[in-house]
Amino acid sequence: MNDLSQTRLWLMRGSFMLLTVLILFFQLLPLETTPRIWAGPDLLLCFAMAWSMRRPEYVPPLALALAFLLADLLLQRPPGLWAMFALMACENLKSRGRSLRDANFAAEWITVGLIILVITVFERLVLGLVLVDLPLLTLTLSELGMTLLFYPLVVAITHFLMGVRKTAPGDLDALGQRV
Amino acid sequence: MASDRSNGSDYTGPLRRLLLVVLILLLGATFLLWRIDSPRVERFRAQVTDRLVPNLDWAMAPVTGAINLLRDFQSYQRLSEQNKELRSELRQMQAWKEAALQLEQENARLLDLNKVRLDPRLTFITGVVLADSGSPFRQSVLLNVGSRDGLVDGWATMDGIGLVGRISGVGQNTARVILLTDASSRIPALIQPSGQRAIVAGDNSAAPPIDFLENPDLVRPGDRVISSGDGGVFPAGLLIGQVAADPGGRLRVRLSADYERLEFLRVLRHYGTENVTDTAQIITQDGPLVQPGEGISE
Repeated sequence: MNDLSQTRLWLMRGSFMLLTVLILFFQLLPLETTPRIWAGPDLLLCFAMAWSMRRPEYVPPLALALAFLLADLLLQRPPGLWAMFALMACENLKSRGRSLRDANFAAEWITVGLIILVITVFERLVLGLVLVDLPLLTLTLSELGMTLLFYPLVVAITHFLMGVRKTAPGDLDALGQRV
Repeated sequence: MASDRSNGSDYTGPLRRLLLVVLILLLGATFLLWRIDSPRVERFRAQVTDRLVPNLDWAMAPVTGAINLLRDFQSYQRLSEQNKELRSELRQMQAWKEAALQLEQENARLLDLNKVRLDPRLTFITGVVLADSGSPFRQSVLLNVGSRDGLVDGWATMDGIGLVGRISGVGQNTARVILLTDASSRIPALIQPSGQRAIVAGDNSAAPPIDFLENPDLVRPGDRVISSGDGGVFPAGLLIGQVAADPGGRLRVRLSADYERLEFLRVLRHYGTENVTDTAQIITQDGPLVQPGEGISE
């Protein structure tokens, strides 16, 4: 039993990295070369938060940091800044995970929304402080809105398709012990 | 054990907490390093892109093709309508073709008479677009040619018709092209026929505005915008687009290059324009004759 859980743990950690590469792959496809006035959702952040909420052991900080830094590098963002805030957000969510475990989805959605709003504001503040050109406000706001809109969908995919669910009483954890 | 776990100490034990703090500090340090020494980190970024993206190319090309095929399929519904438009355009084109042929013959005759040699160093390398910037915040594309093919930062990139952007970030096998529409793009331009100099400054919109125009009254919508070659980074005379005025009255450039479909791009080899620096000297039998004060070179 123990052995099986360990295998599953590393399998799921591997699939998170695979998911990261897959999301980046579809974002990098050369389909949009004209400027758009709105931005799509930050799916990587959605999935990272949904997974952090449900199974923190599948997304260790190192994996999160690597995934976000890779996204920063490949998507031409200032490297490290968004990664740092996103990592903080996910870890914050992990520490709340236990208290939110029994709450309904609306509470989770509101918490996630507030956290994303806070890190977006902080990112713009820091970018302004170090005098980097700020991205257009409309783009940032539309990305924020789309991320929040897509979060329930991402949670549904996480829950039903990927089988990453909240630990319920009686479940076995990664070490094969009852939670 | 049970009480331990309910405190969540399994995930926030001292060691984990330390690791997390170290990671956050490392990420923050990366950002600060980028802010302080941007070229070095950007080179690192180019190398990471260079390693990763060409590996995905085998999958990217067919997926892009399939999605484009689907998009084309949607446009088949308007087929007859398009057909009619194309026929009328074709008739116009035939008239132009006649004119072009006559001009070509005339041009060839004149070139022959003048014994003109076009600059043999102005050649180009054609690259295929591998990936775009991946987010709507930046406008750039990644080409499959790099320092292996002799590419240098700053070279101009065109599609068949007009200027597309400038090379910025060269890896071994890939190079990034910052498009004219990107918010960080600034290209010195010349507006014909008035000869006004200006800067085409990208602002993340489809038609970049014209900045630093000396006399806007001389410029009208429809005027041609070409690169001026000021600063020596760009070759002069590349077509950028046409002037257009937006509803607010601000002058913008309607770009000639087809940004909807960037597939193959030409990178122009450009080794800088040479300046004539020495003053004119007359060579006599006794060596060069220096004539101070007389500006023959003017």
